[in-house]
Amino acid sequence: MTNNLETWVYIENHFNHVDPSSLQLVTKAKEISDGPVVAVITETPNQNLESEVKPYGADKIVIIKDEALNEANDDTIANALVELAKKDLPNAFLFSATVTGRSIAPRVQSELKTGLTADCLDLRFEDDLLIASKPSYGDNVMCEITCPKTRPQMASVRPNTFKAVEATPTSEVVTANLAVKVDDRITIDTETPLVADDTNINSATRIIALGRGAQSEQVIAHAKAVAARIGATIAVSRPLTDLPEFSHEQQIGQSGNTVAPELIINLGISGAVQYTVGMQNADTIVSVNTDENAPIFESSDYKYVGDAEEFLQGLLKQL
Amino acid sequence: MKIVVAIKQVPKTDSVKIDEKTNNLVRNGVEGVINQFDKNAIEAALQIKDETNAEVIALSMGPNDFETSLRGALAMGADSAVLLSSRAFAGADTLATAAVLASAIKKIGDVDLVVFGRQAVDADTGQVGPIVADKLDLPQITYASSLRVIGDSRVSAVSLLDHSEKRISAQLPAVVTVRSELNKPRYATPRNIMLSFDKDITVWSEKDLDVPENELGQAGSPTIVTKVYSPEKAAKQTMNLEGDPTTVAEKLISELSAKNVL
Repeated sequence: MTNNLETWVYIENHFNHVDPSSLQLVTKAKEISDGPVVAVITETPNQNLESEVKPYGADKIVIIKDEALNEANDDTIANALVELAKKDLPNAFLFSATVTGRSIAPRVQSELKTGLTADCLDLRFEDDLLIASKPSYGDNVMCEITCPKTRPQMASVRPNTFKAVEATPTSEVVTANLAVKVDDRITIDTETPLVADDTNINSATRIIALGRGAQSEQVIAHAKAVAARIGATIAVSRPLTDLPEFSHEQQIGQSGNTVAPELIINLGISGAVQYTVGMQNADTIVSVNTDENAPIFESSDYKYVGDAEEFLQGLLKQL
Repeated sequence: MKIVVAIKQVPKTDSVKIDEKTNNLVRNGVEGVINQFDKNAIEAALQIKDETNAEVIALSMGPNDFETSLRGALAMGADSAVLLSSRAFAGADTLATAAVLASAIKKIGDVDLVVFGRQAVDADTGQVGPIVADKLDLPQITYASSLRVIGDSRVSAVSLLDHSEKRISAQLPAVVTVRSELNKPRYATPRNIMLSFDKDITVWSEKDLDVPENELGQAGSPTIVTKVYSPEKAAKQTMNLEGDPTTVAEKLISELSAKNVL
């Protein structure tokens, strides 16, 4: 087994900015690792993404700089990371479970012939063994998964599971000396931001979530009306993904998305733990349900035992 | 053009049973359905077939009852199906699963395009597609919300990311993983269901494939499930809003405004 006890965190970036979920991972890695935390950045020679990473206090930042890393495809980035990792296999290598992370990490995993646990909701170490907790089999169970025999132990973590916290800035910043192998069979023509993506629940600061008790056309229409007034996005619990207008992308929960908005209003959601685990980090949680024993109330800051439709009507009158 | 669609049969999740010895899901005898995103993958292949008369082969690794999903793919319009089934494959994590799928795709031969759904809704890893791409040394396009084949040699797609979208083009052969925004999967028509009974499902075991024994099944899996449990939750201070809906709405708005939440 390698003596290298480093925990690496891949720093994802788009449009010349670091993805916040990568910084969340740096903080978490620092919290759980005995060994040094290394932030790994891939960028072009004229970028300076390390300036956004330093405030989060990784023990070291390693930068792979190459012009080929401008709008690089998954294979090219994976090649670069594999090249770096092969030089001195780290103990653990963490990625955000974003689309990008989930596309690059498995290629790295495959080249390094190691284990990757995806979409984790928690991580901890027992000595140098990484224990990754992730949901499985739909809404029903949580699993702990380890990778005892190979290195690095890889994991991807759901964005917004942890919080990024600033710390003593990193002073050790190194540029890696390696040539990036480009996969030129694939070309990224453009990457464009999704600006007014009002259905993206992951970036929403306010969410109105609908469950079984709020799935009539009328309630949905009124929920949308309230959402429009307060700048909220509509999300759903799992049963409503059966309706044609909602899909997995709007689903909150263990088998859906984890969100951490400033405000979430749950309507007609009973609040089984498989749901609440996807939104319990929200700053303010308001829940409405006709059942006074609905478990969702235990996770809520504000509780109203009543009808979702009437509640929405009440809100619409005031807003 | 030859297209392989890799699909997975997943448990209807209210019938979950865990094997206490291995901590793995008991897949045998549990009611299974085609993974939702794999239907989008099958549909993507069939749309290309509609336009170019491509050959579409459905491929799956699992126990014998995965034939149900392969039949479903045939009933949607796939030309043939291959089931990779053996005790030796059991307990495979994503790496070992991809080793077997990649080997089967090589054996099928002359494959231009491999399509996967973005993730299977039981384990939600989304890893097998990219690992297969790496093992076959093929370029990959993931999370495709739009897909077009250009002649025989190129594919053009849009990858829909969390906050952006990428327009990508790639040489074939390539691996593509698709998301639900890509298409609306067709229903199996009665005619296609009837026709599907005459279509072949070939079954291969490890004896038919070229994968070293130490890369198969549990032996070929670097990861291991060490614990399975029900998730817990934390307690909270809850303010109960009482009264008629209008009063409640008033109180809530004033509370939230006071805290600067609204």
